[in-house]
Amino acid sequence: MNNQDFIRQSDGLGTKSRYSKSIWRAIHTDPPLLVGIILLCGFGLLVLFSASGGDVPVVQRQALTMVVGLVVMFIVAQFNVHFFRQWAPTLYAAGLGLLGLVLVVGVEANGAKSWLDLPGLPSFQPSELMKFVVPMLMAWYLASRPLPPRFKHLFWSAVMILVPAALIIIQNDTGTAIMVTMSGIFVILLAGIRWRIVIAGFIALLLASPAWFIFLAQEHQKNRILTFFNPYRDPTGAGYNIIQSQIAIGSGGMYGKGYGEGAQSHLDFIPESNTDFILAVLAEEFGLLGVLFLICMYLFVLVRGCYIGYAANDTFSRLLAGSITLTFFFYVFVNMAMVSGLLPVIGLPLPLMSRGGTSVVTLFIGFGLLMSIQTHGHSRSV
Amino acid sequence: MAEKWQLKDHEAERELFSRRLVVAAVFVVLLFTALVIKLVNLQVSQYEYFSARSDGNRLHSQYVPPARGLIFDNRGQLLADNQPIFNLTIVREQVVDLDETLDYLDTLIDLSEDEREQFNNRLRRNRVPFTSVPLRYVLSETDKSKIAVNNFKLPGVAIEPQFVRQYPLKDLTAHSVGYVSEINRTELDSFDDEERENYGGTNHIGKTGIERTYEDLLHGTVGYEIVEKNNRGQVMRRLDRTDPIAGKNISLYLDSALQIAAEEALGDFRGAVVAIDPNTGGILAMVSKPGFDPNLFVTGISNKNYSVLVTDEVNTPLFDRTTNPYPPGSTIKPFLGLGGLHHGLVDYEFTIEDPGYFRLPGVRYRWGDYTLRTAIGGGHGHTNLQKAIYQSCDTFFYDLGNRMGIDTMHGFMSQFGFGENFAIDVNYARTGVLPSREWKRATRGEPWYPGDTINSSIGQGYMWATPLQLATAASIMANKGKVIQPRMLKSIDGEPYEPEILDPVSDVVVNDPDYWRYIEESMSMVVHRAYNDVFREYGTAYEAIAMEDREMPYRMAGKSGSAQVVGISQEILQSDDIQVSDPNKDHALFISYAPAENPNIKPQIAIAVFVENGEHGSSVAGPIAKAVTDAYLLDILQIDFAALDSAGGELFALVDE
Repeated sequence: MNNQDFIRQSDGLGTKSRYSKSIWRAIHTDPPLLVGIILLCGFGLLVLFSASGGDVPVVQRQALTMVVGLVVMFIVAQFNVHFFRQWAPTLYAAGLGLLGLVLVVGVEANGAKSWLDLPGLPSFQPSELMKFVVPMLMAWYLASRPLPPRFKHLFWSAVMILVPAALIIIQNDTGTAIMVTMSGIFVILLAGIRWRIVIAGFIALLLASPAWFIFLAQEHQKNRILTFFNPYRDPTGAGYNIIQSQIAIGSGGMYGKGYGEGAQSHLDFIPESNTDFILAVLAEEFGLLGVLFLICMYLFVLVRGCYIGYAANDTFSRLLAGSITLTFFFYVFVNMAMVSGLLPVIGLPLPLMSRGGTSVVTLFIGFGLLMSIQTHGHSRSV
Repeated sequence: MAEKWQLKDHEAERELFSRRLVVAAVFVVLLFTALVIKLVNLQVSQYEYFSARSDGNRLHSQYVPPARGLIFDNRGQLLADNQPIFNLTIVREQVVDLDETLDYLDTLIDLSEDEREQFNNRLRRNRVPFTSVPLRYVLSETDKSKIAVNNFKLPGVAIEPQFVRQYPLKDLTAHSVGYVSEINRTELDSFDDEERENYGGTNHIGKTGIERTYEDLLHGTVGYEIVEKNNRGQVMRRLDRTDPIAGKNISLYLDSALQIAAEEALGDFRGAVVAIDPNTGGILAMVSKPGFDPNLFVTGISNKNYSVLVTDEVNTPLFDRTTNPYPPGSTIKPFLGLGGLHHGLVDYEFTIEDPGYFRLPGVRYRWGDYTLRTAIGGGHGHTNLQKAIYQSCDTFFYDLGNRMGIDTMHGFMSQFGFGENFAIDVNYARTGVLPSREWKRATRGEPWYPGDTINSSIGQGYMWATPLQLATAASIMANKGKVIQPRMLKSIDGEPYEPEILDPVSDVVVNDPDYWRYIEESMSMVVHRAYNDVFREYGTAYEAIAMEDREMPYRMAGKSGSAQVVGISQEILQSDDIQVSDPNKDHALFISYAPAENPNIKPQIAIAVFVENGEHGSSVAGPIAKAVTDAYLLDILQIDFAALDSAGGELFALVDE
């Protein structure tokens, strides 16, 4: 028996009347979100041009990726979000299947065996899919249960999160595994899990972390942690990235050295200046004001994402929108914190700024889902 | 048990979600705040620090070494040039694994063990961090391209152009001009801060000869350059530059043509020639033979080449024979004779009856006359001072020396530079020994014996003098007592150089200036036929010089000398059944100046010739002096003596006094 048959949809809040007849609604696009995304993309391309040392092909490829992302976003937004809700279990099962397939016939790149190169399809990473399929499934699962979730449901939720996460860890892609896990956890947190469980889990994690560090952590992970606490223990090796990136950020000062004038990046002192460490380039050339400007743009997108979740009609949409928004924040924060030395180095890109392919498209799928929630949810009930 | 049905309360869920969203928003704000605080800390509070670190990363102040001043001879011929070469250098700090890099280089350009060892030595001693250390000087074109192609595998390895010294005359100027070579640890340690700064970009320093004496003039002043380097140490931009000030170009009195002539005149002998222009004190030639190629030292001589040079105990090419002392032998006789005249111990009429030996009263030992080996016991017979000089009569000088006493002898002879270094800028020259009572007490702890004076009277015993000192003394004799101290440096950047002499040497003054003429005449009779026309009573060098060249257009004043090689007793040397091996033969010496006895022209060149184990001063060293004199007067100065004679004194103001 399906719960949906009995549930009463609560009225949507907010702006449906304002958008109900607009052209944006007809094409299922949320203008504020779109503006925020395009501003970020534009700024990202600008910084990338400098970070890559004026490498036009690199910037063109990135711009093309962004256009593809926008198109994908637009297509995703055309589907009613409840379509995804209905298909969530199927997508999840398919995703698990693909992850399993990767283990067998996966292709390795950059140390992670996470690529699938199927005939007739462009090569892609199934783990990327899980970044939105997992929260989708969690939202589907928890939305049809009474909230706050009970322990039994939490247990199954944990299983649903950890199985794909484990498969991704086996592929040696810890960063993505963390993101997938976090996107699921955000759903649980937003679903109203009791604080005492959250606190207990947090304490358990704290207590377990030394054990992890001693028994499970790999050498490079240990190094990263140790380097975080003292970058100068190996200034030309493990600590080099963070030292040089801090020098770049610090020497940018309040107003920056000017566009294209970042000595640290242009003289190749910043490794990964196009990807994970692009914030250092931005901070060096545009200074603190530039970083604050970027944070403001991110905040604008985040506020809009939260609002979409807040204004959504049903629990599934709310949880999914909230999770997508918080995951986006998590990306932004972890990268910025890592580059500025607030967190250990984890290989995560800065959304819409770092050069990248698949992960950019995944981001846009998330934005597409947000737009779908905003533009479909209010007009009709299932 | 049936599952407990719980109806979903949508309003409550929405509110729960909203509350959670608020909590999440609070977290977002808190975390962003933490991030901003961190950024403010980095970009505002620590801005100065990180800005300096960033500049430190990219900005490098590097030294720009000055071009070393060139050295010319007195007619503009280059004696020391700067030539560009390409060096293979390594910056230790940029190399990941030094041994691996060297092994890899070995596969490309064949590094010898020697090179590796020298490189490691350089690494140890010449270490300013992040400076390049030469691994190989003078890369060939092939090696250069091999390195360039594989550059990406060789971080920290670079090919750097450099100007290094080149000595076009090679062996010929090895001792006089000297050479530069890599600065060593001791030299670095002896620098004060200013010097260390000035040598920041310099690899080489003058080690010997003029290169060392005039190091300060030749080196110049270091320049600076601030460059921007990237992560791989490549220079991207030059931001600021203070040009170095090149070292001064200097010209010497040395005449390379005369230098070549002297070297050729020495032939296969080991020995030395020093020639001085008595009018200027300028050292015209200073040859020590055999020499060595000083260019070897510039780019780091290999152990193999070096050991060849130092293990050659007979030729000792590194040993500078021009500035090291030997017993002067009879070459001191004219000076001693002059002293005898001056002190009234002899006069023009004074004669002795030479029995061929000398005996101190009450001493049985007989000092034989070495010049008369074949006629021992015969002696020179009736001998005055003039004959004692041109026939080199030992007995006469034994007697004169004995009557003069060592104190007077020391006082008079020191005026000619014996026992002292009169040369202004050959400060490395040894001073030899002009013995005295004080000297013997201080160095030997023994009193002076009358027999010591007898030995000193013929330039043996404790008496030691360098060829440079002998040439100096000859030059003073040529100037009739006027002392013009010998010097090498003629001009700096084309400006004539007049050295400041803090402690000038006073001229030699004798009671009657005619004594100079008398001694000159005596010395002239050494070379030319004696005026008295007594059968076979000619000077010691007549047969070898004036008789050989009857067309000789000028007169030359000279004195031969033979010096006993220390440690071989005269008895052994004179016995017929022992073949005296080469290294035990006497050293041959000759001093001269020319033109002599010419009312129209002053002496132009004073020479000392030293021939190691040359045996006979008159017949071996004498012709060498003659050849050098010919080369200078006839080929280089091209003096037309016939024209001079016919023109008399009118044309030339150079007439003496």
